[in-house]
Amino acid sequence: MTTEKQLLLGKDDLAKAMTRMAHELIEKAGKVDDLALIGIRSRGVHIARRLARKIEELTKQTPPVGIIDVTLFRDDRPRDQTSAPAVAGEISVTVENKIAVLVDDVIFRGRTIRAAMEAVERLGHSNRILLVVLIDRGSRELPIRADIIGRNVEASDTQRVNVLLEESDGIDQVVVTPWDSRNVN
Amino acid sequence: MGTRNLVSIADLSNDDIEEIFEYADSCDKLRSDKVGSCKIMATLFYEPSTRTRLSFESAMQRLGGTVISCSDMQSSSAAKGESVADTAKVVSSYADVLVVRHYWDGAVQAMAEHADVQVINAGDGGHEHPTQTLCDLYTLRKEKGALKGLNVVICGDLKNGRTIHSLVYALARFGANVVTLAANGMELPQYVLERLEREYQYTLAPVAGDDLSAVVTESDALYLTPKQPHQLALFTQVDSTIQTRLTSMVSGLRYDAFYMTRKQKERIKNGAAGGSYPSIGSKFLTEQRFKDTVVMHPLPRIDELSSEVDKDRRGVYFKQAAYGVPIRMALLHFLFEKQRQHQFIKSGKGAAIFESPHKTGPHCPNSKCIAVNEPGSTRLRYEILAGGPAAALVLRCLYCDHRFKAHLVGQTTSKKYCAYDIALAETVKQWLKKSELAIFDSIKQAEELGYEPYKSGPQRAIMDDREIQSAVRQMSEQILKDCEDPDRLLVLGIRTNGSLIGQRITAQMEQLQKRKFEVGEVEIYGTGDDLRRIFPDEPELGPVSLRDRSIILVDDVIHTGRTVRTALNIIFRSGRPRSVRLAVLIDRGHREIPIKPNYVGKHIPSAEHERVRVHLGEVEPDEKDKVVIYSITSPSES
Repeated sequence: MTTEKQLLLGKDDLAKAMTRMAHELIEKAGKVDDLALIGIRSRGVHIARRLARKIEELTKQTPPVGIIDVTLFRDDRPRDQTSAPAVAGEISVTVENKIAVLVDDVIFRGRTIRAAMEAVERLGHSNRILLVVLIDRGSRELPIRADIIGRNVEASDTQRVNVLLEESDGIDQVVVTPWDSRNVN
Repeated sequence: MGTRNLVSIADLSNDDIEEIFEYADSCDKLRSDKVGSCKIMATLFYEPSTRTRLSFESAMQRLGGTVISCSDMQSSSAAKGESVADTAKVVSSYADVLVVRHYWDGAVQAMAEHADVQVINAGDGGHEHPTQTLCDLYTLRKEKGALKGLNVVICGDLKNGRTIHSLVYALARFGANVVTLAANGMELPQYVLERLEREYQYTLAPVAGDDLSAVVTESDALYLTPKQPHQLALFTQVDSTIQTRLTSMVSGLRYDAFYMTRKQKERIKNGAAGGSYPSIGSKFLTEQRFKDTVVMHPLPRIDELSSEVDKDRRGVYFKQAAYGVPIRMALLHFLFEKQRQHQFIKSGKGAAIFESPHKTGPHCPNSKCIAVNEPGSTRLRYEILAGGPAAALVLRCLYCDHRFKAHLVGQTTSKKYCAYDIALAETVKQWLKKSELAIFDSIKQAEELGYEPYKSGPQRAIMDDREIQSAVRQMSEQILKDCEDPDRLLVLGIRTNGSLIGQRITAQMEQLQKRKFEVGEVEIYGTGDDLRRIFPDEPELGPVSLRDRSIILVDDVIHTGRTVRTALNIIFRSGRPRSVRLAVLIDRGHREIPIKPNYVGKHIPSAEHERVRVHLGEVEPDEKDKVVIYSITSPSES
């Protein structure tokens, strides 16, 4: 097993991928009016905001961006049966009769996305849910498929795919690192 | 139908409210007359509360009555899973009036239906809080004399506050003008605005800014006024603090009251929702235009009001809290009087009420509605609102007030269903009148109940029994090939056809592997018992364990993906499987949810208006297995 950090996408690759994703999203949606972007905390939110800006550049229309925190809906968290589940995350978009676009950095097992879909369902009846991810690293455990993918990556279970973004990490890049050695730089 | 309960502020007429205010004015007399003696009030609080509960208890004791309560419903029989219906029935025999707060929308209505005594809503989820509204109106009347024509600004979180929605309706009824000033992303919900327009003929005039795009990203202000629209000019500057925004509003309008709300932290997780929350501070107090503007707040406050406002005569929120006791004394007395005189407090408005002839739907789409969370305590009852936007068939849930469009209607006598269309309005009215109307959430639900499309094109067979059999065999082989640990395997079919195909797949795998597999089924329109084991059929095994299982979810046809999503929700509510893979006999495309099956018997391209139906011998013993495709039309098109 390599302990080396592998660079998958640099700043320019990432920007290109983002532009392509925005184009695809506009094409799939038909009308930008109908879009409601929902970023999954935390890097999904940055990506959603970048997509919104890109869409604005391309169409002069800015889709709203909401934020969702799915930790409450994750299945690996014990549920308190007697209390009412809280509204997920902080959201400031309405999805009623819109195309809800779920945005995340990496799709792996699919559990986060499943939880996010349940959370979106609680926000109201959307016409459609589109799933946009920057990286699809395969190894799905649930029958979920992203509609728009920035880059497919073959990574083994012993590897981590890390998306680093300026907003949170000070740099734009996607790297693959060994799962157990966070300190390797 | 009338009611003796107070579930919604709409249960009281304006005259009723005036009568309650008069009682409140003379609450000392109510106290000395001990009008509540020999009465027992039970307080059932499923959610924490300080002032509502204490003011109710204080009010009852001052009337000479007694109070029984359960210190914490979470630790009582509710925690053991007792339904609200049963709790209401049982406690009815202990008390003369029930005061209930619950976390689900519409829960108090459900309890009122099952209680034998009067029920008062002390807050149900995000739905209503009518006694707070009474208290707010009473404060306004006390401070300002009359309600008609008042200009009231409500600001802050207008989305999650149950008190706000009730208050806005009540202000509308008494003819006050309302200016809304929402914190970012916390605007008054659309259905509240629609109801104001529909029921109270309010015109809604958005207050725009000089720089419109900036206002859009900030919060919008709305001026709600009865009948005659007002000219209200604009913000020159966009700032989320109240002071700057309001000083830039055009002068000439007199504001009588400011109603601040608290951010509903318990209803929105994780603090701030982008943008700051409005607050009232010292600058407000020095504004000449606000010299007679009272500041109200339902309390508890967080930091929306600075302490300077406390000392000012215009800060009336502690008075407002103090009025809680006399107003609740007055309300209790009012309800006891109505009870004594056997009077209902509201006569029905002749609303068109639809009660579903089927237990499986339609369902209220509000996931926080009591009817969704405790179907056993509720009935599928809706008001039919004709002439909604785009002439849709709109249903209003009688519990939580949530409105939603119905897409599929059926007739119980002919057992036909079709998509709703404006041309069907009269037909549907007739069906409702004759109790022949059925409404469905989905085509699948209609067909499960034995309904057929109203009119369909010629059927074209796309798979025969041999092809179905070979598809099942291929999927079974593939599932076994991918399966790393057969002991973990669990086949779950979606009822009814998916379950039958799941059983066929299991039988096929058993033949190939010479061993038994566990099989179950998921019912997506169920009323509680969503997951059932089919094999091994031994009740002593208890519920199906999903933990660490490799689940194969099976359905007959995948279309939008919504059915599968619901099934996944049920699965993940019940346990934490290692993986879920999806097997479908037919994938017909048109996905609306990002779901992709792992095993597909056959891909069939289809048009939106077409139906693909799987006929299986287990359901129709005289027929051979087959899959057909046909187009459907509604009666209006014929």
